[in-house]
Amino acid sequence: MIKFDNVTKKFLLGTVALNNVSFEITDNEFLFLVGPSGAGKTTVIKLILREILPSSGSIMIDDFDIASKNFSQTTVLRRNIGVVFQDFKILSDKNIFENIALGLKVMNSPLIEIKSKVKEALQLVGLSKQEEVFPVQLSAGELQRVAIARAVVGERKIILADEPTGNLDPKTAWEIMRVFKKLEGQRTIVIATHNTDIVNSFKKRVIALKEGKIIKDQRKGGYEI
Amino acid sequence: MKELFTSIKRAPYQTLTAFLVLFLTLFLSMILFVSLTFLHGVLGYLESRPQVTVYFQTSTPEKEIFKIRDELNNSGKVILIKYISQQEAFNIYKNINKNDPLLLEMVSADILPSSLEIYAKKPVYLPEIAEFLKKQGGVDEVQFQKDIVDRLLNLTNVLRKLSLLFFVYLLLMSTIVLTTTTLFKIALKKDEIELMRLIGASNFYIRKPFLQEGVFLGIVASLVSFIILLLIFFYLNPFLSSYLKGIPVLEIKIFDLGLKVWPINFSFLIIVFFLSSLFGCFISIISSFLATRKYLKV
Repeated sequence: MIKFDNVTKKFLLGTVALNNVSFEITDNEFLFLVGPSGAGKTTVIKLILREILPSSGSIMIDDFDIASKNFSQTTVLRRNIGVVFQDFKILSDKNIFENIALGLKVMNSPLIEIKSKVKEALQLVGLSKQEEVFPVQLSAGELQRVAIARAVVGERKIILADEPTGNLDPKTAWEIMRVFKKLEGQRTIVIATHNTDIVNSFKKRVIALKEGKIIKDQRKGGYEI
Repeated sequence: MKELFTSIKRAPYQTLTAFLVLFLTLFLSMILFVSLTFLHGVLGYLESRPQVTVYFQTSTPEKEIFKIRDELNNSGKVILIKYISQQEAFNIYKNINKNDPLLLEMVSADILPSSLEIYAKKPVYLPEIAEFLKKQGGVDEVQFQKDIVDRLLNLTNVLRKLSLLFFVYLLLMSTIVLTTTTLFKIALKKDEIELMRLIGASNFYIRKPFLQEGVFLGIVASLVSFIILLLIFFYLNPFLSSYLKGIPVLEIKIFDLGLKVWPINFSFLIIVFFLSSLFGCFISIISSFLATRKYLKV
């Protein structure tokens, strides 16, 4: 369970990225965060990941207030969260297998487990035959799939995806979304996007943000610009 | 191991800089350590040989000298008194200068002083014996090793303080250079570190490759310094053997345990290598910690 309670995030120059935002995400829920650029979607993701701290309010993940300055389990928290970054963050000097394995290596998983789980993740994203390939040889869509594989490997409970289809053509974007669809019901999935077609066709919960405020929170919502 | 060599290959100049600085630090530290150990050994050796030498005027009759010798023997404070007559002194002189005929021509037995070499039972008796001898008639000069021991002790103290200063300087210099080279390497891996932090890597996991590389460089630099020191040691062995001819064994005391440092002793060399490796690893680990610290704030 993720619970935002009156969360406000102000940046140094006074920009208010989130303004008194409250919502709750239950376990294994599939949710879209929508809104125009600058609405606060990425800020929500960064707050859940504890990459930044809120200026006020509390963020509960299960029983822990991760917004508290005294919270000392950041590493444990992050081991339960898989992130698909907007810029992929794929390491160019490591092959695909090594990139995905990193998600498990940081948890000190045994080598035998790493091998089997990476293979499973590669299968999930449809890149089984490319484990030895280096990122430079892959297309943007394939790189995004590698990023998803790295995020899901290691049974992370929460998957956060920041604009996972942002720079992809419609066909590839749908392929990526099909990967997320496969994970539905197994993990909590939060996807920040402004792709109206995808949001509308999935018919999942939608939280719409505008200028740091929630303007809509619908169980089977859609997205209108 | 593969990751270690990849990291070295990725930044070869930074690695070389780190290695050279570590090598210089460890090599100089080893030389300082060995020199100080030898000096301590010589000091210990001299302290264990309480000796006073008294030179008599050439006009002093032998029976006067023997009277003094007997008095000292009866004092119960000496182990041995050796009389060196003018003729024996001349023989020693001839032996020392056998290759220099000019020096031999200029000297005859009657101009060299006869002497007594006195071995005291305890070093504390040395000043007392020296005072006694100075008061005797016909005595030209009294030499006793307290002067030499004191001078060596002073020298050792000065060298120890200078070495300590030099050690601190080396430690600072190498830590700063190593921290800087590690920071360069971190800059190359900045994205990877950032990613690792965000996907749940512990601080130790992020530091581990830098620590491993530091320890590896520390041990390699120590090994290379040690090999060079050994080569120098073996090259200088004939010179040292002749220089320390009168000294059969040099030993230092560590917690009441004697450690032989001369003639070349395997255990001593192992200790030198071990300490040097430890020092190298210490510098590397501290530098890696300092360099990675600012990137690990979560």
